[in-house]
Amino acid sequence: MIADKILNWSRIKSPWIIHFNSGACNACDIEVLAALTPRYDLERFGIQLKGSPRHADVLICSGPVTLQQRDRLIMIYEQMTEPKFVVAVGTCSCSTGVFAGCYCVLGGVDSAIPVDAYIPGCPVKPEAIIDGVVKLLGSIKK
Amino acid sequence: MGKMVIPLGPQHPALEEPESFSLLLQGERVAAATVALGYNHRGMEKACESRTYIQNIYLLERICGICSHSHSTCYVQTVEMLAGLEIPKRALYLRALIGELERIHSHLLWLGVAGHEIGFMTLFMYAWKDREVVLDILEMLTGNRINYGMNTIGGVRRDITPDQAQDVLKCLDVLEERTAYYAKLVTEERTIVNRLSGVGILLKEDGLRFGATGPVLRAAGVAMDIRKDDPYGIYADLDFNVATDEHADVYGRAIVRVTELIESYKICRQVIKEMPDGPIVVKAPSKIPAGEAFSRYEAPRGEDIHYTRSNGTDKPDRVKVRAPTLANLAAITHMIEGGYLADVPIIIAAIDPCFSCTDRMIKVIDSSSGRENIFDWAGLRKYSMEWYSKQGIDFKNMNAFRKED
Amino acid sequence: MEKETLVLNKLAGAFPCLEGAGVIPVERRIFLDVPSDIFMDVIKYACLELKFDHLCTITGLDAVDYFEFIYHISNSDGIVLNLKRRAPKENPVIDSVLPLYDGATFYELELEGILGAEVTGLPKDRQYPLPDSWPKGQYPLRKDWSPDSLQNNLQGEC
Repeated sequence: MIADKILNWSRIKSPWIIHFNSGACNACDIEVLAALTPRYDLERFGIQLKGSPRHADVLICSGPVTLQQRDRLIMIYEQMTEPKFVVAVGTCSCSTGVFAGCYCVLGGVDSAIPVDAYIPGCPVKPEAIIDGVVKLLGSIKK
Repeated sequence: MGKMVIPLGPQHPALEEPESFSLLLQGERVAAATVALGYNHRGMEKACESRTYIQNIYLLERICGICSHSHSTCYVQTVEMLAGLEIPKRALYLRALIGELERIHSHLLWLGVAGHEIGFMTLFMYAWKDREVVLDILEMLTGNRINYGMNTIGGVRRDITPDQAQDVLKCLDVLEERTAYYAKLVTEERTIVNRLSGVGILLKEDGLRFGATGPVLRAAGVAMDIRKDDPYGIYADLDFNVATDEHADVYGRAIVRVTELIESYKICRQVIKEMPDGPIVVKAPSKIPAGEAFSRYEAPRGEDIHYTRSNGTDKPDRVKVRAPTLANLAAITHMIEGGYLADVPIIIAAIDPCFSCTDRMIKVIDSSSGRENIFDWAGLRKYSMEWYSKQGIDFKNMNAFRKED
Repeated sequence: MEKETLVLNKLAGAFPCLEGAGVIPVERRIFLDVPSDIFMDVIKYACLELKFDHLCTITGLDAVDYFEFIYHISNSDGIVLNLKRRAPKENPVIDSVLPLYDGATFYELELEGILGAEVTGLPKDRQYPLPDSWPKGQYPLRKDWSPDSLQNNLQGEC
């Protein structure tokens, strides 16, 4: 258990991220992927995109929480081990945005799980994603 | 042997995840397929009824971040018909410019995604890097990389300066050169040809029967393109070719999209050269006279449809949207059935779906044992690349970067 | 508007009660109200004889006193023929056009899902587009439905 915690904390220097999208309009998802391409190169911070919540330190969420996706989002969050952090990217992920009032949309990400960092933008810009993630890492280390 | 459900993904085994595709396998081939949709349903059409016509532009732009100008333009066209507005020519040229730039970024996005699906990572990185050039222009012209906010009822919200026009032309030069490389790659690189040929066949008769649209239909030799058949905006005055191919498979769809890139560069140059001076907007009433209007638009994925009914108030009575992907999904099981399981990811990717299909589960049932496997997208992609690797089709040794990167 | 007028003339020729019923508001757009009892014959004629063989989509809407269904079909001249039929709210039953248009499934499932129509002849093995957890009997596109009804319903289940 202690060994896991040490392993987890040391990974914060180069966190593993998992990306979950509730499929709003895909613009933020594409900008998250763009952040990993050479022009923006999120990986130079040691950040790696992983497939499994069990190995991830940071959950990056795009899109608002829809009726269809709410339980799945909560499940993924619960599968992550501590310490874990959630980043809401994009305006509708932060606060529902333009989809407020749509009948299958429940709210921003924090209507389902706790959020540690909010990065607005419609869509969020790759530079803002990098900026937000780096700030989050900085605040964790303190 | 009883049924076993083997989750091959990150999701919790106990979570009853509705799968988007359910495939019955006979050996390694898909004997039958069903598709379930709706996980991206937000309730936007209903929301439109409690927002003004202008507010709805910003909502409908976000149906899909890739086709956002398509939806926006298709919608404002219905409102402009209802209000009986004559849109200034300069505004229509500007709409066409943004529309073609959107087509360009969308097709480059697709090229990268297709590369990613078959394990050709270099193509993914190249195409998305070249796409950044287009996004830079779009940001310069509209203030945003995606979701441009270019349209208003009655015209457009931003104009283009002569310097900006020159910058656009310079970028088109760069893109044309890069696209010549993609055209060569797609037509001459044997590994790509072998990987994509004979996959996901949709013949002309079946395409028409199912109501398929866009590059999927054009790859079956059907020269249907709303810009020619039911021209909107300024397209009746523009000179361009409709890209078709006869292969009727995923390979054909790749050829059509690359050809369309080249045609779009042509259209952009024409638009910049021939754009007249003048106003970019006419005043529109906030209350739209009662009536109904139907508009079509050739989005990067095909025929986009908007229908609006007005009732004399400042809010629509009904807005109906049919995005092109839904039309192509009607044919997807036909394209998958009879083919290999290993082909499923690229067949789905080749309709250029406007949903995040990489997030959905795929159930695979073996018809002889009754055993069920649940794949997540990454798992099926991995299976696909390994299967093709055994056939001698592998992109690993092609994954190298250009000298200038 | 020659081609459009020709289409209306042919329809009126085959179905005399349609004489004078169509509207051509702009080029390549025809809107036509069709009585329910001849609707299936009219759409069949339009599809097979007049070659309006592409089904763009079907719009279902709540017109307060009745439900209206608009079948948007197009031909190779780029003309869109919008055939409209009505159904009473107490009995919103219409026929499937699958025998004519293979791509109609999702459009007809949507009429059932969000408007609460009943489409006879439509295979019922799935629903579209609402989530599986959606409460039964709630039809969002009806004018008397609001998202508050859903919140109340969902809270009731928790």
